[in-house]
Amino acid sequence: MKDPYQVLGVAESATDEEVKRAYRNLARKYHPDNYHDNPLADLAQEKMKEINAAYEEINKRRSGGGPENRQSSGYSGYGGGYAQYGQYSGGQSSSSVLQQVRIAIQTGNITRAEALLANYSDHNAEWNFLRGAVCYRRGWMDEAKRYYQTACQMDPGNGEYRQALEFMENGTQSAYHPDGGFGTEMCSANPCLTMCCAYTLCNGGCCFYI
Amino acid sequence: MFGYVRPPLDDLPKEEAERFRRIYCGLCHTLKRRYGSAAQFILNYDFTYLAILLSAAQEDEIRQGRCIVSPVKKREYFAESDALTVAADESVILAYWQMRDGVSDHDFVHGAKYRAGALALERAYRKAAKNRPAFDAVTRQQLEILSALEKENCALIDRPSDVFAQLLSGAAAEVEDPVRRRVLEQLLYHMGRWVYLIDAADDLKKDVQSGNYNPVALRYGLINGEWTPQARREFVQTLDHSVHMMTTAFELWDFGVWTPILEKTLYTGLFRVGKAVLDGTYQPMLRGEDRKKRKNGEEST
Repeated sequence: MKDPYQVLGVAESATDEEVKRAYRNLARKYHPDNYHDNPLADLAQEKMKEINAAYEEINKRRSGGGPENRQSSGYSGYGGGYAQYGQYSGGQSSSSVLQQVRIAIQTGNITRAEALLANYSDHNAEWNFLRGAVCYRRGWMDEAKRYYQTACQMDPGNGEYRQALEFMENGTQSAYHPDGGFGTEMCSANPCLTMCCAYTLCNGGCCFYI
Repeated sequence: MFGYVRPPLDDLPKEEAERFRRIYCGLCHTLKRRYGSAAQFILNYDFTYLAILLSAAQEDEIRQGRCIVSPVKKREYFAESDALTVAADESVILAYWQMRDGVSDHDFVHGAKYRAGALALERAYRKAAKNRPAFDAVTRQQLEILSALEKENCALIDRPSDVFAQLLSGAAAEVEDPVRRRVLEQLLYHMGRWVYLIDAADDLKKDVQSGNYNPVALRYGLINGEWTPQARREFVQTLDHSVHMMTTAFELWDFGVWTPILEKTLYTGLFRVGKAVLDGTYQPMLRGEDRKKRKNGEEST
């Protein structure tokens, strides 16, 4: 096992408070909410496990293994967060083909999911929703949103579809950012682009093909 | 690659800015050694990021040397490494095909500078293509897809940006560690997507005049290249999703000494460039002379 202090990025001499803060920051970074439907979610889940184990280990060492009540709160909340990743197979499917699509998406087999959807002629709300999910995994964010929109229009009462659309519209606002605000409109206008050409030479090239 | 991915140098500690400069110079020296001085002129920040992402977690050996930009004072730069070699080869291929693309996009007069650029790079390109045949084949194939989409006036933004995104993510194809490869492919894919979309947004006005294909204008039905609040909101959402994909990928690999530069670039630099482009205040990189003039002008006002 890796050194738990190294995993959390703190010195062994760090106070309990510092350890907790480091843990919370990392837990926020690798939290399942931040890797919602992300093709790399499995890697984030591994990270999360490592961080949880390290935090647990440090707390155990510091409490001397005894019953001392030094286990911090905040730990338990993140433990099983990744369990919710079963959502695609957990949803109610209207047909066995669409159920297979959900399984394919969940296991990361996007090509198969796409092929199954292409051969499915009933373009109902669920089909549109799953098509959106496939687009999102591929990085086709604009298409994903449009399919989710269609799914919501066809079945306005469906919470699963609405949640997906809501994420496309506002999801990144709550994304992890080391200093707070995530988003293009969040950044202050200045001193933006004073960074230009510090070392030159770049310019000759740019002019060729901009 | 158009130089939109940049480090917010003002926000970086001096040593980090210096590290960035050393790899920038390292790539320049590598280009010159492998492809001659004509190839140095393709150097830009985007290609530097490619070198950074492909670099090892520790610093490479530091060399000292003079160059055209700094003919008197010796400057430090990173010695040629595998990452710099790959970045140099792939940069030459990308730049060459981009210039060829420029040739076919423009009429005879306006295509002149692209023709000149492609001609100057011809020899370098042939060598680079020999070094990286797979990358060259993918690049050529993807740009053909792009030109077909342009011809049919494709009004979707994901399809044309996918072409460019795949090109960049292909740069990670030879990375051995499977986890690192997945992380880099994802990061580079969305960097490519973001760059393509930002470039289209930056060209809105220009393309209205020239009549060139602009997927962003078509997708949002923009009139005279003017943003509506609704269209801008939707466009920002899609950009921010790509930045989010980049940051989440970035956090899953240890980039060692490059972590501070990458972190600032991804979490701060991209948003600033994006906002400036949308606000119409974006300044492309200036030639040395223009830069001096502008600086002097600012001081005197």
